[in-house]
Amino acid sequence: MDVPEPISKLMDGFMRLPGIGPKTAQRLAFFVLGMEEEDVTELAKALVRAKRDLKRCQVCSNISDQPVCSVCRDKNRDRSVICVVQDPRDMIAMERTREFHGLYHVLHGAISPMEGIGPDELSIPDLLKRLEDETVKELILATNPNIEGEATAMYLQRLVKPFGLKVTRIAHGLPVGGDLEYADEVTLTKALEGRREL
Amino acid sequence: MHVEHLELKQFRNIEQLRLNSPGELHLFVGPNAQGKTNILESLYVLAVGKSHRTHGHREMIRWDQPAAFLKARVVKEGSTRRLEVRLTSQGKKVIKNGVEQRRLSEYIGSLTAVLFAPEDLSLVKGSPRVRRRFLDMEMGQVSPSYIHDLTRYNQIINQRNSLLKELGRSQTENWMMLDVLDEQLIECSAKLWTKRFSFVQILSRWAQEIHASITQGHENLSIQYRPSIPVTADMGPDELRDAMQQELTRIREQELYRGNTRVGPHRDDLRLFADGTDLHTYGSQGQQRTAALSLKLAEIELIHQETGTYPILLLDDVLSELDDSRKTHLLEAIRGKVQTFVTTTGLEGIDRETLERARIYQVRQGSFSEQR
Repeated sequence: MDVPEPISKLMDGFMRLPGIGPKTAQRLAFFVLGMEEEDVTELAKALVRAKRDLKRCQVCSNISDQPVCSVCRDKNRDRSVICVVQDPRDMIAMERTREFHGLYHVLHGAISPMEGIGPDELSIPDLLKRLEDETVKELILATNPNIEGEATAMYLQRLVKPFGLKVTRIAHGLPVGGDLEYADEVTLTKALEGRREL
Repeated sequence: MHVEHLELKQFRNIEQLRLNSPGELHLFVGPNAQGKTNILESLYVLAVGKSHRTHGHREMIRWDQPAAFLKARVVKEGSTRRLEVRLTSQGKKVIKNGVEQRRLSEYIGSLTAVLFAPEDLSLVKGSPRVRRRFLDMEMGQVSPSYIHDLTRYNQIINQRNSLLKELGRSQTENWMMLDVLDEQLIECSAKLWTKRFSFVQILSRWAQEIHASITQGHENLSIQYRPSIPVTADMGPDELRDAMQQELTRIREQELYRGNTRVGPHRDDLRLFADGTDLHTYGSQGQQRTAALSLKLAEIELIHQETGTYPILLLDDVLSELDDSRKTHLLEAIRGKVQTFVTTTGLEGIDRETLERARIYQVRQGSFSEQR
């Protein structure tokens, strides 16, 4: 028996999402059939709204439903520090710490010549514009500790040199609360390289 | 260290195999194309997570089967570890003591293995690529951080080559990014050089001693690491970095024109000398074979020195390639300390005393029967 078209279309739609294969797609599609019409409409609206209403913040490029995001609008934030992250999710992670009270800048990726991603494909030109404002005193580079992330941090460091800012890189090494004996050799080597005098 | 138990399912032409092997020497005997090498390959895969024969893993799964399973129990200094490799069409899983290991670098090292296959006889004569692969595989077994550095290095090379091509064709003017990638390349090259120089020095010492004993003192073997730029073993990290920086500046035009990275550890070589003569160019076939044998035996000693325990040895069809005196020397050198798995088409030329202490299996079309 062929599955009626509305269902097969729904399944195809679900399968485009990450982590969903044919079986899960089928399960989700039939689950939707059993839902209240009101709930289905809400879900459909939420999907469309998330896509249509969310834009990039004009200042920091974070996703936002306003032209300027809530962090950039917040008057209590320290405007002298900008933390550069690769992805909106990285920013959410930083926010969870509640320890950072400055502003952010979201690059939406890392420089990778192999994938054809250069500085102009990222929000780097916007970052440079922000730095022209003299209130910014420090730039924290919080890109990922892999080849592309490191290269992007090194690139930014060179690029912003003319602004005469304090430029810092987040530390990497041992996870807090973990036991030394369970750390893998590579992380431990990194931690050893980045040791500090007490 | 030794393998106490081996279990294979749907691996190549082996439907199922269980091997309880408290023994020290195992001989797998049978005509060609019966599956003798498959068993050595399975042990190698359990040790380093990948095959020496193929890059993909689909071919290692038995025809018409969805998955292959490899399990081993390894005893090292009295403690037992369970190793497992699962191969499916989706991918490969490596499991240590029942826990899946996300990074291969955290899996490797639980079982160390030295494999000596007929193609290794061309280790001396073959292209530099063969010798670099030898270095990388062997160093990876004793140093997980070497695998990490090497993976990083290859990623940097790929990024840098892409950028060189774009710059060469004027598709971008991002010269600052090239400076960044140069800095990463220089840093990583210096690390690899330091490690390779020190590894080759230790390997050379062992190979020299072993080679003298095989040739009864007639030949003096030495191994030299041949970098693609003028750096030497006595240079510190700063000097290595400076030398690489200078070289990159010197050949910049050429790299832009060719669109790839022309110097660095991925272009280096290893050369073997007997009494000062380069064996790659001037060695006789016999000399080259003996040197390859010395290198492999040196590797066994080096792994012992670095990890405190002897690896297992896998000899794939090489006994027939060696003359009697080299064969005797090989079997003597490993006796009593290295658990060994050997494949051979026949038992001729193996001395009676060796046969008496070995466990012998007949191999026919993927099935194994022990001969008593």
